[in-house]
Amino acid sequence: MQFGVFSVGDVTEDPTTGVTLSEGERIKAMVAIALKAEEVGLDVFAQGEHHNPPFVPSSPTTQLGFIAAQTSKIILSTSTTLITTNDPVKIAEDYAMLQHLADGRVDLMMGRGNTGPVYPWFGQDIRNGIALAVENYALLRRLWREDVVDWEGKFRTPLQGFTATPRPLDDVPPFVWHGSIRSPEIAEQAAYYGDGFFHNNIFWPITHTKQMIELYRRRFEHYGHGAADQAIVGLGGQVFMRKNSQDAVREFRPYFDNAPVYGHGPSLEDFTRETPLTVGSPQEVIERTLSFREHFGDYQRQLFLIDHAGLPLKTVLEQLDILGEEVVPVLRKEFAALKPAHVPDAPTHASLKVAAERARALETIEEPAVVAEPTAEEPTR
Amino acid sequence: MNERVIAVVTAGLTTPSSSRLLADQLSAAVADELSGRGITSRTETIEVRDHAHDLTNNLLTGFPSAELREVLETVESADALIVVSPTFSASYSGLFKMFFDVLDDQALAGKPVLLGATGGTERHSLVLDFALRPLFAYLKALPVPTGVYAASTDWGPNAAGLRPRITQAASELVAALHHETPTKADPFTNPTPFADLLNS
Repeated sequence: MQFGVFSVGDVTEDPTTGVTLSEGERIKAMVAIALKAEEVGLDVFAQGEHHNPPFVPSSPTTQLGFIAAQTSKIILSTSTTLITTNDPVKIAEDYAMLQHLADGRVDLMMGRGNTGPVYPWFGQDIRNGIALAVENYALLRRLWREDVVDWEGKFRTPLQGFTATPRPLDDVPPFVWHGSIRSPEIAEQAAYYGDGFFHNNIFWPITHTKQMIELYRRRFEHYGHGAADQAIVGLGGQVFMRKNSQDAVREFRPYFDNAPVYGHGPSLEDFTRETPLTVGSPQEVIERTLSFREHFGDYQRQLFLIDHAGLPLKTVLEQLDILGEEVVPVLRKEFAALKPAHVPDAPTHASLKVAAERARALETIEEPAVVAEPTAEEPTR
Repeated sequence: MNERVIAVVTAGLTTPSSSRLLADQLSAAVADELSGRGITSRTETIEVRDHAHDLTNNLLTGFPSAELREVLETVESADALIVVSPTFSASYSGLFKMFFDVLDDQALAGKPVLLGATGGTERHSLVLDFALRPLFAYLKALPVPTGVYAASTDWGPNAAGLRPRITQAASELVAALHHETPTKADPFTNPTPFADLLNS
């Protein structure tokens, strides 16, 4: 199982000191968090993409490329890549480029973006959100898998004889997760392609998350990618830890009370009860995180949100120390002990490369005995 | 026939409020009308005031608390709805509107609704038809033709004038109960197949 952190990239005033980082300081802080995540032994660093203040990360591959140069193990991912307002051609090229620079330590999470005004800035309309996600991703897949693409759709100019450059590293496209909080169409999309499905699992009660994941698992099986419990599930989660539970609550409360999105709303206690937010001791975080498995089944990736709402970098780095030293080692062991053998790990570049080589070898040996399944899609893994 | 459930949503602020008073009279009249036709019924009365904080939190976080979720489900699953708002600044109150803002916009589709409003003066009586009725039209509910507005004087010297309007509205609501509410498709049970999404 993979453990990591995901950053939204908000610039928010620290409510306890009145300090607001500059954009530059926040960008550098995100880099420091990513480097620290590798240092403490986490597997994934993912960052958001936004085109409106108070968020800074508009250009994820610039930042992830910079991080790639200073790391060697950690997987760099997104949370999320805007499949609606980005040109799929540019996504194909940017992330193939990043794959080469990062030696394959790259995957992506597709998201639609829920900020209405952003769409027209990129020539789109939020009412087409689902249709854009469907069409753009279908094109993106082809751009990564076919050297020369002729294509025509509703939302971008047609392509004739187009080759996205560079080609994906080892001709293995990055693994893709689809993130959605409440749109069944996106769970369906992830299931159809046999891609991963990620639920941010932060703002909503567990019942909502469960509904989405159960749909994804059921449809993953329906589309013939494996059994429902072999589907590739990722979850978010939000934690704040101190040695003593009461200290964690006392320190985090002002950040919670003033946080973007839910600040000035429910109490910390209400929100902790209703959502996966956990504020307390490392042991409490371990127990809560393990409980996700009971709700959602064995899953492959757990990302924590630890760096928003104005929390100072020093505090965030302390959180990473606690995750790396006290929480993740225990979770790794516990989850591994519980996971049945037939449940796969999340695909990585290495595992996808092996699978692709095996598929190619099989084709050479068995051609033409292997008859393609009567489906419009090639296998994903 | 099965027991009918009538949900009552009343948004008065004081205790007792004239909105609650009107809501109780309307629900009693509806229960009488139903029992007159041999139909048993149960009334679930919701004081919006009791959920004011949860409503605000729902608007801020995007999801209802467990307690509010139950209330919303009560309204959604009821056979018919009685709503009463005080008149604030020539319209329904903000708190009343918040309740219906938080409710799923398909929750009331096809549901018979009896519209009620209260106010300090009878000069506001068209609030029923100029504010409440469009709201419930948008929600695809079926507001019955007679709404009931009660001003201060309706609780005193004009009380006799209020009674026939309540009876009329109650009988219209009960008549509308026979309307079949459309069943809603559940996108989690029956998702749109991806091939349809690709080709749409």
